[in-house]
Amino acid sequence: MHTLPASTLIAKGMQTHLWGARAAEFFRFEYDFVIRAVIASAVVAACCGVIGVFLVLRRMSLLGDATGHATLPGVAIAFLITGSKSLTGLLLGALGTAILAALTTAWLSRRRDSRPDASVAIVLAGFFALGVVLFSIVQRSATGAQAGVNHFLFGNATGITTPQLWLLAITSLVVMMFVALFYRPLALRTFDQAFAQSAGVRTGLLDLFFIILIAVAVVVALECVGVILVSAMLITPASAALLVSNRLNRVCLLSALFGAASGFFGVFLSYLQEGFSSGPMIVLVATFIFVVLLVISPRHGIIARALARRKPVHS
Amino acid sequence: MIDALIDPWTWGNWMARGMLGAWLMGVTAAILGVFLYFRRLSLLADAISHVALLGLVIGYLIAGSLDPLVMLVSAMASGLAASFLIGALSAHPQVRSDAAMGIVFTGLFALGVVLLSTSVEDVHLDTQHALLGDVLGISDRSLILLGIAAGATLLLVGVFRRWLVISTFDPVHAAVIGVPVLAIHYMLISLVSVAAVAGFEAVGAILVIAMFVTPAATAHRLARSVSSMLLIAVIHATLSAVVGMYVAVWLELNPGGCIVVTGVIIYAIVLAWTAWASHRSQLKQSTSATLQARQ
Repeated sequence: MHTLPASTLIAKGMQTHLWGARAAEFFRFEYDFVIRAVIASAVVAACCGVIGVFLVLRRMSLLGDATGHATLPGVAIAFLITGSKSLTGLLLGALGTAILAALTTAWLSRRRDSRPDASVAIVLAGFFALGVVLFSIVQRSATGAQAGVNHFLFGNATGITTPQLWLLAITSLVVMMFVALFYRPLALRTFDQAFAQSAGVRTGLLDLFFIILIAVAVVVALECVGVILVSAMLITPASAALLVSNRLNRVCLLSALFGAASGFFGVFLSYLQEGFSSGPMIVLVATFIFVVLLVISPRHGIIARALARRKPVHS
Repeated sequence: MIDALIDPWTWGNWMARGMLGAWLMGVTAAILGVFLYFRRLSLLADAISHVALLGLVIGYLIAGSLDPLVMLVSAMASGLAASFLIGALSAHPQVRSDAAMGIVFTGLFALGVVLLSTSVEDVHLDTQHALLGDVLGISDRSLILLGIAAGATLLLVGVFRRWLVISTFDPVHAAVIGVPVLAIHYMLISLVSVAAVAGFEAVGAILVIAMFVTPAATAHRLARSVSSMLLIAVIHATLSAVVGMYVAVWLELNPGGCIVVTGVIIYAIVLAWTAWASHRSQLKQSTSATLQARQ
C-alpha cells in the first residue's frame, strides 16, 4: 500500500527523461523495423479511413466494432490448424470469422422483432469469447506460448517483417482501388438506396461486397492496431473528416490523410517508451485529431458554430 | 460423473469463490440487462464498460490503491462521464450518434490501456486481467464489490420496479404522471457501471457486455411479461455461469470466455427453437385456412 500522489506515479511509470533521446532516434530513421512500422501503419490506417467514411455515413459504425472483435477466433483457429505464426494464414483465418460475424449481425438485425444494437453486442461478445477460449488452448501448446494474446489485442507494428509489409501495403492499396472503382455505386447506395436500385445498382450484391471490403480493411489493420481498437480506425478519422467537408470525395481523401497521420504519429509515440503498444497510441492520435477539429473546424467546429449563432447571417 | 461435478470444489476455495463471483456477476447483469435491452442501451453498456477501465486507473492513481470504495466511486463517475460525453457529442449535427459512441469509448479505452500498462502496479489489475478476466483468482475487493452491486441492484430494482418499467416502455407518459425519468435513467447507468467494474475480474472488460445482453435477448424470445423475462434472464445467467465454470475447470480454458460462449449457445438454441416453432404454427394456420376454404 503506497500513498504516492498521482503525478509521481505517472512520472515514475512514464520514463519521460528518456523521451527526448528516443524521439531524436526515431526521426533519424536508422532502424529498418521503425521504417516498416511507420509505412505499414500509415497505409493501413489510410485504407481504414477511406472505407470507414461509407461505414459512418451509413450509420453502421458498430458493425466495424463487431467485425474487429470477431477476428480473434479466426486468428486462433488458423494458428491451431497450421501450427505456425505465418501472418498470411492468421490473417486469412481472421478474414473468415470477420466476414461470418458481419453477415450474422446483418442477418440477426433483419429479423422482424430484433434489437439491432443487441444483435451487434451478442455477435461481438460471442465471437470474442470464442477467441479467448481458443487462445487459452493455443497458449498451452508448445509453440503457442510465444504467440501471446497481447500482440493481437493491441497490435505490434514494430514486429512487421518486409514480406508482411508488402502483403499489408498491397492489400490496402487494392481495397482503396476497389473503393475508387466502385465509388459511384457506393456513394449512391449510401445516400439513397431506392434511387440506387432504380439506377440499376444491384444493392444486395454491393452490400455483400462492401461488407467484404470492411472485413479486409479490419484484418489488414490487425497487426498494427489490434483486435479491440481496430474499429476506431474506421470510425474516428472518417468522423473527423466529416467535420471539415461536406463533399464525399474530399471527405474520403481527408479521412485517408487523418488515418495515415494517426498511423505515423501513433508509431512514433509508441516508440517513446517500452510499455506503449502501437494500437492504443494510433487510436489516441486519431482521437486527438478528431477533438481538435471538433473545436476549430471552420465549417462545423464548436467555435465556428458559436460565432455563427451569435451573428446570424442574413442573405 | 458426480465425481467430476464435486471434485473441483475440494481442490481449494478458488472454485467456490470463482463460482460465487461468476454467478453474482451474471445475475446482476441479467437483471439490469433486461431494462437496457428495452431501452436500446445495450451498446451504451459496452461503451461504459470500456470507459470504466480508464476510470479505475484514474481512481487508483488518485487514491494510491484500490479498495471497494475507490472502485465504486470511480466506476460511477466514469459511467456517468461516458454517457454524458456520448450524449454531448451526438448532439453535434455533423457527428452520427453511433459514431459518437465509437469515438468516445475507443479513445478513452486507449488512454486507459496506456496508463494501465505504464503506471499501475497492482496484482489484480494488469492488461491481461482487466481485459480477459481471471475469476478463479478473483480478489476480495472484487467479490465485495460484486456483492454490493448485486444487493444494490436487487434493492433498487425491487423498490423502483414500477417506475423503471413505465419509464422504459413509455417515457413520455411516465414524465407526465410525475416519474423522475432522468433520475431513473442515471440510476440505471450507475448500477450498470458498478456491475461492469465489478465484473472485470469475473469475465473481463470486453466480455462484460455479453453478461448484460445475452440473458435479456434470450428471455425476450420466450417471455410474455417483464417479470417472467427477469426470471428467465436470471435462469439463463445462472445456467451459463455454472456450465461455463465447470467446462473451464475441466478443460482448463479461460472461464470468462467459457461462460459467455455457453450463454451465446443457449441463445442460439432458443433462437432456432422459437423460430422453428413460429414457422410451424404459421404453417399449421395457413394449411387449416386452405382446408377450410376448400370445404
